[in-house]
Amino acid sequence: MAQRPLPVPDEQSAPYWKAAAEHVLTVARCSRCGAYSIPISAECDRCHSPDPDYRFEPVTGRGTIRSWTVIQQSFLPGFDDDVPFVLVDVELDEQPDLRMIGRLLDGANAPRHLGDRVTVAFEDLAPGSSVPAFTLDAT
Amino acid sequence: MSNDQVAIVGYAQSQVQRHAEQPLGELAVETSRRAIADAGLEIGQVDGFVGSAMFPTAGAHAAIDGVSMVTPEWLAQHLGAQPRYSAGYHGMGQIPGSVALAVDAILAGEADYVLMHRALHNPAGSYHGNPTFEAGGFAQWTAPQGFFGPLAMIALPYTEYLQRYGASRSTTAAVAVEARKNGARIPWSHWYERALTEEEYLAAPILADPICRYDCDIPVDGAAAFVFTSAERAVDLPNRPVYVSGYALAQPPPRRLALHWPLDDIMGAGADTVRNLWEDSGVGPTDVDLPQLYDGFSPLVYFWLEALGYCSPGEAHELVRGGGIDSDVPGALPVLSGGGALGNGRMHGIPQMLECYLQLSGRAGNRQRDATIGLASHAAPHVGGAVVYRSGV
Ligand SMILES: [Zn+2]
Repeated sequence: MAQRPLPVPDEQSAPYWKAAAEHVLTVARCSRCGAYSIPISAECDRCHSPDPDYRFEPVTGRGTIRSWTVIQQSFLPGFDDDVPFVLVDVELDEQPDLRMIGRLLDGANAPRHLGDRVTVAFEDLAPGSSVPAFTLDAT
Repeated sequence: MSNDQVAIVGYAQSQVQRHAEQPLGELAVETSRRAIADAGLEIGQVDGFVGSAMFPTAGAHAAIDGVSMVTPEWLAQHLGAQPRYSAGYHGMGQIPGSVALAVDAILAGEADYVLMHRALHNPAGSYHGNPTFEAGGFAQWTAPQGFFGPLAMIALPYTEYLQRYGASRSTTAAVAVEARKNGARIPWSHWYERALTEEEYLAAPILADPICRYDCDIPVDGAAAFVFTSAERAVDLPNRPVYVSGYALAQPPPRRLALHWPLDDIMGAGADTVRNLWEDSGVGPTDVDLPQLYDGFSPLVYFWLEALGYCSPGEAHELVRGGGIDSDVPGALPVLSGGGALGNGRMHGIPQMLECYLQLSGRAGNRQRDATIGLASHAAPHVGGAVVYRSGV
């Protein structure tokens, strides 16, 4: 059975994946102006500092659904056993328009609407390797 | 700004097919020879080569010059040309970007006759399928979560659109059916004599909901080439010139995850693209009688209709549902009269450019329309671009 692609941490992203392994969602934050950035970059998108000294800071993991898709055919073979699955485009609470994409673990048939609230959850793919996803908040 | 100072004076388009018999490079060479001859020129006169060599696959296919993509430099070498100028465009709006290079080279006096080409390849095996088990670099933020490839890319803003404006994906059948209706009339199209019905569209498998198979252009082997020169030189050549009135390429949109296209990015940054287009070309949407909108994924037609101001935001689906893009209805917007990518195959922005050229040069044969000003858009409004063309006399 094909396995899902595993994240390969690099020097910059290692703290992110270390926190994820402990089921803590972090987001890179500029040390100069405090802006969060997804994904991490070399410069800050807000203050344009070329030396933002990014830190991965824990966030609430709570956010709002801005869009979704139901993947029926994945181009990554490791997901063949998971289709159909839902991907959600989530705006995190920490900052306007701070958006990330993850799986919605409630199943393809769970009713969803723009504006629905979600909370981060983690999928454990391998020892030390967990990736963020989301679940719908109880209404 | 090009101000009608540069013209297209010749073209060639290969057969668009799933897998060509000859290698892609050979197809590009043969097509380019025909385009140069069509313009009434010899290869030795062509002193500029421009184009884009993007191989737009998410799959594990190697980009090999002359095999899976063709650069302007490779093409010049294999044509035996000795250009003074060659340049490649590497952004998403490959066709408007390449046209801009051709225009600028001629206006700057860097070249007198510029060949612009585009060659697209359909490799054996799955086009986007990728057996990767490790996601490093940019991919580490998306692939482990299952967000991968252009279908998921377009599905997200499409869902946003449908939900925000109360639209139905069944309406989008009219986009695909219109593209295939026109493609079925084009002898070189992969879909020649093969129209699509609404029933077939609605019965097609969903790949990344709400995107179904027929919302996606089909990967093909194909090549097209155009010859540009100055308006002054153009009048001495055999074909009626088609002038480049202006163009615009998208400014950098907000930085996002790879392939993450929020609807507000598309329309927000897209508005800048369109404002620049009208400023550069000196025309507005109602002056254009041959708008050709990019349709590599069918929802892009909605986005371009709204970005260009043919309707208000959120109303394109109603325009389409009411027959507003039927090229056979007088007064409707013939935005897919050239078949587009859905009606020809994955030739990127070539079908839109080619339709502008053929109609405005009076060379569209039994498909000839009465048109003076054309517009060809490519990719999405926030990452692509568009060109305005004007018919010569
Ligand atoms: Zn900053």
